[in-house]
Amino acid sequence: MLSHRRACHLLMLVPMLVMDAVYAEINDARARYHYQMFCQGCHTPDGSGANAVPALKDRMGFFLNSQRGREFLVRVPGSATSKLSSSALAEVLNWCLLNFAGTSVPSSGYVPYTEEEVDRLRQDPLQEIIQHRASVIAEIAAQSPQGAQHE
Amino acid sequence: MTAFFDRLFEKQARNLAQTSSRRGMLKKLGGVLVGASAVPLLPVARAETGAGPRKPVEQGSDTDCDYWRYCAIDGFLCSCCGGSANTCPPGTEMSPVTWIGTCHNPADGRNYVISYNDCCGKSTCGACLCQRDEGDRPPYRPDKTNDINWCLGTASASYHCSTAVVVGVAFDE
Repeated sequence: MLSHRRACHLLMLVPMLVMDAVYAEINDARARYHYQMFCQGCHTPDGSGANAVPALKDRMGFFLNSQRGREFLVRVPGSATSKLSSSALAEVLNWCLLNFAGTSVPSSGYVPYTEEEVDRLRQDPLQEIIQHRASVIAEIAAQSPQGAQHE
Repeated sequence: MTAFFDRLFEKQARNLAQTSSRRGMLKKLGGVLVGASAVPLLPVARAETGAGPRKPVEQGSDTDCDYWRYCAIDGFLCSCCGGSANTCPPGTEMSPVTWIGTCHNPADGRNYVISYNDCCGKSTCGACLCQRDEGDRPPYRPDKTNDINWCLGTASASYHCSTAVVVGVAFDE
């Protein structure tokens, strides 16, 4: 039988294993390179954006508060029509969330994007992006006013 | 009070003596020594050396159109206009919005990620026109084209000259 102390040690391992499962999908050097090649030119090196280019930094996690918002991050043309494969796109989106989203991600956590999900969503790229984005933001702000501070 | 400490340490010493052996200690110490030798192989150390741009070994002059970093440039070289391959001339503003590609550095045989930030806010420099266009794509691939004015994130949209900043090492796919 497990001693109390052993049981405590094993319990401490559980969150570490969950974190590993998330990070295991991301090759940091590859994801950073893809971000640099296909995103950074407009979103800038630290994700803060410029002028009309929306900031990812401390913002992008806000969109994970609704299903339409989650889909928005994949269906924007910069994501959906990029040259990246769906697995690479899922990886770079998850990498951006880890590195840029900061406290904007839902406090309850989020499920990382998968290749399958990204592959399905990017088949339907957005056309009227500005209007669509505004409606997604309004919808999330209406259901969680505290989340609206990120926008 | 001292009696309390005496009892405490005696009890702990006896507990230790009853639950451990000298050979056990040797075994654990051996394990630690062998384990410690594996530490440099852990991914942490490799991630540290792999992340971020390392300063490339350079050869050639940055006022020369043949300079390795200019492989996809189309414009006036800032290094001939009072700036450098990394910096804008005085009186101009570097656009944060830019286009990005890779160039092969012959000095170390590696590919680097190059950011062609334009310098904006003055009329065209006119010196050292350089057009190499390797990897340049038509404007329907806007993030990979040099045919548009990239003064997009600046106060002024007047194009003056182009830089070629090393922002990373290309990932070998």
